[in-house]
Amino acid sequence: MDDATREYLRERFGDYYRQSTVALPPAANEREWGHIPWTPGTGTTMVRHQSQLDLGDVDDFLARESPRHVYFSAARYTDPSASTMSQKGWRGADLVFDLDADHLPSVDPSEATYAEMLAACKDALHRLLAFVEADFGFDDVSVVFSGGRGYHVHVRDPEIQDLDSDARREIVDYVLAENLDTDGLIRTVSAGGTTRRVLRTEGGWGRRVHAALVAFVDDLDGLDESAALERLTAIDGIGEGRAETILGAVSANREAIAAGNMEAGGPGIRLLADSLAQRVADAESAPIDEPVTTDTHRLIRLPKSLHGGSGLVVTPIDREALDAFDPLVDAVPEPFRGGSVEIDIDEPRRVELDGDITKLEPGTHTVAEHVGVFLMARGEAEKV
Amino acid sequence: MSARLYARYPFLEAARQAVGELGVDIETLIAEGAPAVDRGRKRVERALMAGRVDAEDPDEWRDEDELLSYPIARILVSLLDSGAAIDKYAAAEAKTAVERLQEDFAAGDDGLRSTTTARLDRETILDELGLSGTIRPAADHASREPAWFRVELGAYLRLAGDGDRWRLVDREVADGEVRIEREELFSLLGTAIRRRIADGLPFEGLTEGEGIVEPLESDLGELRRLLSERTAVGRIDFVNRALFPPCIENLLQKAEDGIELEAFESFTLMAFLTGIGMEPDEIVDFCAESSLDPEGIRYQTEYLTDDRGTQYPPPSCETLSAYGICHNEDDHWKTASHPLAYYQSRLEDREEELVDWRADTNAE
Repeated sequence: MDDATREYLRERFGDYYRQSTVALPPAANEREWGHIPWTPGTGTTMVRHQSQLDLGDVDDFLARESPRHVYFSAARYTDPSASTMSQKGWRGADLVFDLDADHLPSVDPSEATYAEMLAACKDALHRLLAFVEADFGFDDVSVVFSGGRGYHVHVRDPEIQDLDSDARREIVDYVLAENLDTDGLIRTVSAGGTTRRVLRTEGGWGRRVHAALVAFVDDLDGLDESAALERLTAIDGIGEGRAETILGAVSANREAIAAGNMEAGGPGIRLLADSLAQRVADAESAPIDEPVTTDTHRLIRLPKSLHGGSGLVVTPIDREALDAFDPLVDAVPEPFRGGSVEIDIDEPRRVELDGDITKLEPGTHTVAEHVGVFLMARGEAEKV
Repeated sequence: MSARLYARYPFLEAARQAVGELGVDIETLIAEGAPAVDRGRKRVERALMAGRVDAEDPDEWRDEDELLSYPIARILVSLLDSGAAIDKYAAAEAKTAVERLQEDFAAGDDGLRSTTTARLDRETILDELGLSGTIRPAADHASREPAWFRVELGAYLRLAGDGDRWRLVDREVADGEVRIEREELFSLLGTAIRRRIADGLPFEGLTEGEGIVEPLESDLGELRRLLSERTAVGRIDFVNRALFPPCIENLLQKAEDGIELEAFESFTLMAFLTGIGMEPDEIVDFCAESSLDPEGIRYQTEYLTDDRGTQYPPPSCETLSAYGICHNEDDHWKTASHPLAYYQSRLEDREEELVDWRADTNAE
């Protein structure tokens, strides 16, 4: 990025901040603040360990300094500006989840368009929210488009504030279905001198796997015998004999399977559950970035600030409006709409933003300002 | 609630108030060397040696002594000035409290309902620990202790243990709650009680030999001697029974003859086996043909090694001699005054190739 481009972006970011109000987190004065200024070179130096007292009014600070990136800590501290973590006096931290297109197994960043990445990320976000809301039952959840390649979820439920890193890792493992194994989902019940194995069906991954098992069995029921056998023997470890035992149980002992009984259907039923567990884990887990959640001192992007790598707004999203939210339209900064800017590019570019697709060949172009800002912030164009 | 109840659960807030209402002050008790002081020392001693705090001779003590021994024990533990001692003391208080809770809940479950006011019920202890809205029965059975409970996720994560069985990913989590079995409830309660006990320890502002604690000098001396018997033996990780010191060999033989070991004897044996680098499972195998039961071995060895790596070594030869376990065989005190040191010197003296018992069994 050359000096003229950097200076232009710095000025326009400042204009944005003069016309906007950022979304301060609760207890903003107990949090650590950090920002990255527009400095030359590729290196980024974060200015951190600042308190709100150091910044003064945050909106004034942003209008004045016009930083490239702005962050605040998930944690609250007694002395947020102390330079070491031990001196800060940790008082608790929001639970933060970060979904980034870089971590999605279904997305190849070298192939997918920005729009495709964001769409895949939103699917993952819905899966994450299913855990956050239905399983964990957390209150005070806010969803934020990161301005880059994904979404952040901030949980401020008082219940989680004091959880340490290990406890947060348990939550991460749950969301990732990390080391989920069917043995762990099966418990042994002793009754009348005998023991039997049953799936843990009253919640969590056990319930998910059980639902998949019941659906699978329903499917089998609709098939003729040879098709059903074929479906079963396609699973590793299930040969004809085991498949027949399972089918026998499906017709004779359906209620036991519906109740999570892992004896009806012989050893094959547990192999079937194993295989389904893997499928369910792949399909329903959400690939969050682990360190963001387990690091209780993490800095997170400030909602309503600008992302210096895209020029898009870090956008808080109403839960009800999530389905309709389109980051490529709704995160375009209002002050950058309507104007135009002249830029120079080296490679062909295709930009999908604010409902339009702009295709550019190498050379000099006058483009809508939000398109120009987007390309310049990404380092794909220079100001003319 | 009754004096008996407070004696059994002296950490309850109501028990603390009851101490106040007794009208005795701790300073006077200490100055007079009251029975509660004696019991307080034994409480700490037993916590450090056996990982529990119930009296070995319960008939010797009045409920009042039991109750008052708790604040005395806390003063003594504070003066020991050892984080590991506080951890072990708190774990021991919690262990005994949980055993009593198990008894009490079971008694409440026998259909007779509460026949004595000395028993603590589930609602009361949950309320005491600030968990009443947080842990609830999964289903109500009017007259029976429920088999399942639901625990709020945050509380579950704070109180669950480290083992695989507690991993959240395998748990039934729904609507912000985690389902646990009745037995698991006791584990969570144990953690909450242990934290409650450790909370506020060590007391600030106590100086050994000064003020109200001056008369505790000799009690402290005895406790400190138990603690200081952590000797500087290099790390041993080799098992060869032929070289065990005679005292340890005698204890092993006694156990293998089917004779029940005294608490002090089994502590000595377990501390030795742990001290030479054996894992709890290995000790269970090693002692398979003896009067020692696997569960007891696991429990005792788990608290002998703590996660900070500090270990309780077996007592010194001198202490063992006072208990009639060591007889200074071969005049070994001249070269080693401690079973681990004795074993180490025997290992070093040995010239031929030695086989580790564990390598031997693994090869089978």
